[in-house]
Amino acid sequence: MTRLTRSLPMVAFAAVLIYLFIPVIATLLYSLATSWNKTILPEGLTLQWFGELFRDTRFIQAFGRSLLLSSAATIAAVVVIVPATFAISLYAPKLERWVQTLVMLTYAVPGVIMAVGLIRAYSGKGFSMIIIVFGAYVIGMLPFMYQGTRNSLRAVQAGSLMEAAELLGASRMKAFIRVIVPNIMPGILVSALLSFSILFGEFVLINILVGGRFETMQLYLYAKLNTSGHIASAITVTYFILMAILSAWIVKLTGRTSKPNKEPSAAVAEAAIPTTKAMMSKEAS
Amino acid sequence: MKRFNSMLYITVIPLFIFVALFMFVPLFTMISGSFQPDGGGAFTLTQYTEIFTNPYYLKAFENSILISLLSSLIGIAAAVFATYAITRFPKHIQERVLVITNLTSNFAGIPLAFAFIVLLGNSGLFTLLFRQFGIDMSAAFDLYSWSGLTVIYVYFQLPLAIMLLYPMYYAIQDNWKEAASLLGASPFQFWRRIGLPILLPGIAGTFSILFANAMGAYASAYALTGSNYNLVPVRIGALVSGDIFARPELGSALGVLLGLTLLAAMLVNEWLTRKVRRDLL
Amino acid sequence: MSYVQMNQVSKAFQEQKVLDSIDMQIKKGELVTLLGPSGCGKSTLLRILSGLTALDSGTIHIDDKDVTPIEPKDREIGMVFQSYALFPNLTVTDNIAFGLEMKKIPRDDIRRAVGEMIELTGLQGKERAFPRELSGGQQQRVALARSLVTKPKVLLLDEPLSALDAQIRKNLQQQLRSIQRELNMTTVLVTHDQEEAMAVSDHIYIMNAGHIAQHGAPHDIYTQPRNEFVARFIGSYNVWSAEALGRIAPQVEHIGSKLYAIRPETFCAQPLEGGLAVTGTVSSVTMLGNITRMELNVQGQHVVVDQIHRASDWANVGDSTTVYLHPKDVIPLHDATA
Repeated sequence: MTRLTRSLPMVAFAAVLIYLFIPVIATLLYSLATSWNKTILPEGLTLQWFGELFRDTRFIQAFGRSLLLSSAATIAAVVVIVPATFAISLYAPKLERWVQTLVMLTYAVPGVIMAVGLIRAYSGKGFSMIIIVFGAYVIGMLPFMYQGTRNSLRAVQAGSLMEAAELLGASRMKAFIRVIVPNIMPGILVSALLSFSILFGEFVLINILVGGRFETMQLYLYAKLNTSGHIASAITVTYFILMAILSAWIVKLTGRTSKPNKEPSAAVAEAAIPTTKAMMSKEAS
Repeated sequence: MKRFNSMLYITVIPLFIFVALFMFVPLFTMISGSFQPDGGGAFTLTQYTEIFTNPYYLKAFENSILISLLSSLIGIAAAVFATYAITRFPKHIQERVLVITNLTSNFAGIPLAFAFIVLLGNSGLFTLLFRQFGIDMSAAFDLYSWSGLTVIYVYFQLPLAIMLLYPMYYAIQDNWKEAASLLGASPFQFWRRIGLPILLPGIAGTFSILFANAMGAYASAYALTGSNYNLVPVRIGALVSGDIFARPELGSALGVLLGLTLLAAMLVNEWLTRKVRRDLL
Repeated sequence: MSYVQMNQVSKAFQEQKVLDSIDMQIKKGELVTLLGPSGCGKSTLLRILSGLTALDSGTIHIDDKDVTPIEPKDREIGMVFQSYALFPNLTVTDNIAFGLEMKKIPRDDIRRAVGEMIELTGLQGKERAFPRELSGGQQQRVALARSLVTKPKVLLLDEPLSALDAQIRKNLQQQLRSIQRELNMTTVLVTHDQEEAMAVSDHIYIMNAGHIAQHGAPHDIYTQPRNEFVARFIGSYNVWSAEALGRIAPQVEHIGSKLYAIRPETFCAQPLEGGLAVTGTVSSVTMLGNITRMELNVQGQHVVVDQIHRASDWANVGDSTTVYLHPKDVIPLHDATA
């Protein structure tokens, strides 16, 4: 009994780790395999599939579209959400409760429901549906940008910084841009990177609202699923490597910003970061 | 005297416009559309009566709720123990494990479905491997069936559950464990009397997030078989985007009911938590 | 034979020695305080005694029994943590009853014992409250009741009052001491507050950098510090080198020590019979409640003088003034190092 209760967590952990990794490793091997049909390990290794993929202009274009759409939406989300979060948390704390409810709402509403609403509201009325998807992306990032900004503002004690800057003669706008923004920059960057990585993997809205007319990487992958397994693996691996680079960047940023104070409270704040990340990756939908 | 705060207005109004255009307007049109007949028109409940009388749509709800409950249960059960194991590692290893777990959370939707096709599809690696040994796996397991979809759902629930539970284990102070052990409690007794009751609201909250996550999941099922799985999100997608069979009003009504299901799940969860944890009242 | 005995206890964390061959004896029913600045190893020593932290070498005996290899839960030790460590999901009653339930005591006996404890600690009316509904002082008393109810052989208190306001802290010190006397409970208190240590202890161990700097009854420690660390830590003593003493007060006989300690309040404004005069320039005057603290510069040596505050005007900054000192109040420090 006691031996069971003691070893159960480790068994569960090992099982989860294996479960999470086998598909990743299989996809990686498949993307590098010459042929892999009848043996435990691939018969040979090759970069042929990646070569083919990167020579395919359709892939390059899809990659470019994803990059463009995700970064544009991320930048817009930063510009729209960060200053508003700042102003509300400092000058209109009464609004915070409503904003929190809004944040919960944007988080809880599944992409497919948003898709229905957006189609009914804007489809066939002369709007470019890509712009509509863009707008939905910006609002979809509200929970993560809002939470990230608020945490950063609290960490740098934005209220006192603003008061100090204003007493020294800076206008509010100037104080915000010269004092607050540089101080919360690492936090904004982390939120932006997280937003970008989640938008890059978005499928539901773009598929239902736009479809093949604006082929992003996810749509391209979907189109390739049933044609070539090796090419599809190469796309998946490319996507995964991009995500790994973004994660590494985020880890580096959060590590650097949280090092000076090794208080327990800082550890709690750190722990909140993977949580936010986890909340974003709702089925990448 | 209060200064007129131009900064507040300059910053909040754009955000409000975005929220109105891309949150409230679509939600409102969806709700109002759900009360219209096909092609639009006067107020009617026909879309709802159709859903509640058509076994096909009722089945979609049943399927969605079942697979969401099942995948969330498996996910949370595994994650509760696995996360506990993670918290027992040295700090720097914990961080690494979390980053890696986090990374796999990007493996969702289309790429995830694809990875499982590579492993367990009709000509997947494991399928062929088992065939080599003379075992026909398709008799016991078919990726394109409900069991296959559950395997995929559990996959994307696991990293999410671990990331959400991990900080909650840090709310369990080491001092409580020490105090309990000095008072004669075994680790098992500690977890049963103190640890689990304290974690419970967090576990319940995580469960409801997992449930909502699965209820709204669209990409994985869509990637596996297009619109063949009879799940609510897949039905909605087909109803609003199909060119010939598009019935956006019916899709809207399904959307409203899906939203209500999530809301109900959240409320039940909160109510249960408060019943169990009197000290939180 | 002492009730608790620690022999040659050593502990290192990652090559860093935190405790170096500590010996300690505690008599039954005694309240012993481990006093020292933060990082001196006092909390580690307490945790080693409880068994929560393993020792590297040495032995611990409680009630003539070697408990060194025994698990914390079987050592019959009660402990109050600095954070109290109350279980947030249990009521006051359930928190106190927890240890008895683990021992499978009959329900009626538990109810009676818990009731007695609630009365002893003055928690009547709070039986059904949850920890977060209590004030800091009340939480502290629940923690105390919870660790006493199992009738442990030794009670350990890890800075139990440090999170409380000064006023509540004074009250709880008294209460703690009277409960401890009433139950004749062998108790080890860890604190960094020397006033608190002086107020409640039968015996004080002063620790510094993993060593015991001095131990003894509060009065002995206060009047006879053995080294510079204790002199400075316990009573803001003036510590002079032999050379400085010779310069300022050549009349005092050299006893051969390198350092000498003089308590600030032993200086006197009026000439003493057989006393020696110390003249210097006033560099600051500070009011400390009923005491006036004057700092003098005596031939380059910084001297602190405390006097009961009187209305009569004292010297101003920059004045030259003379105070008097009895040679018997110059205490030679034996150990040059801590």
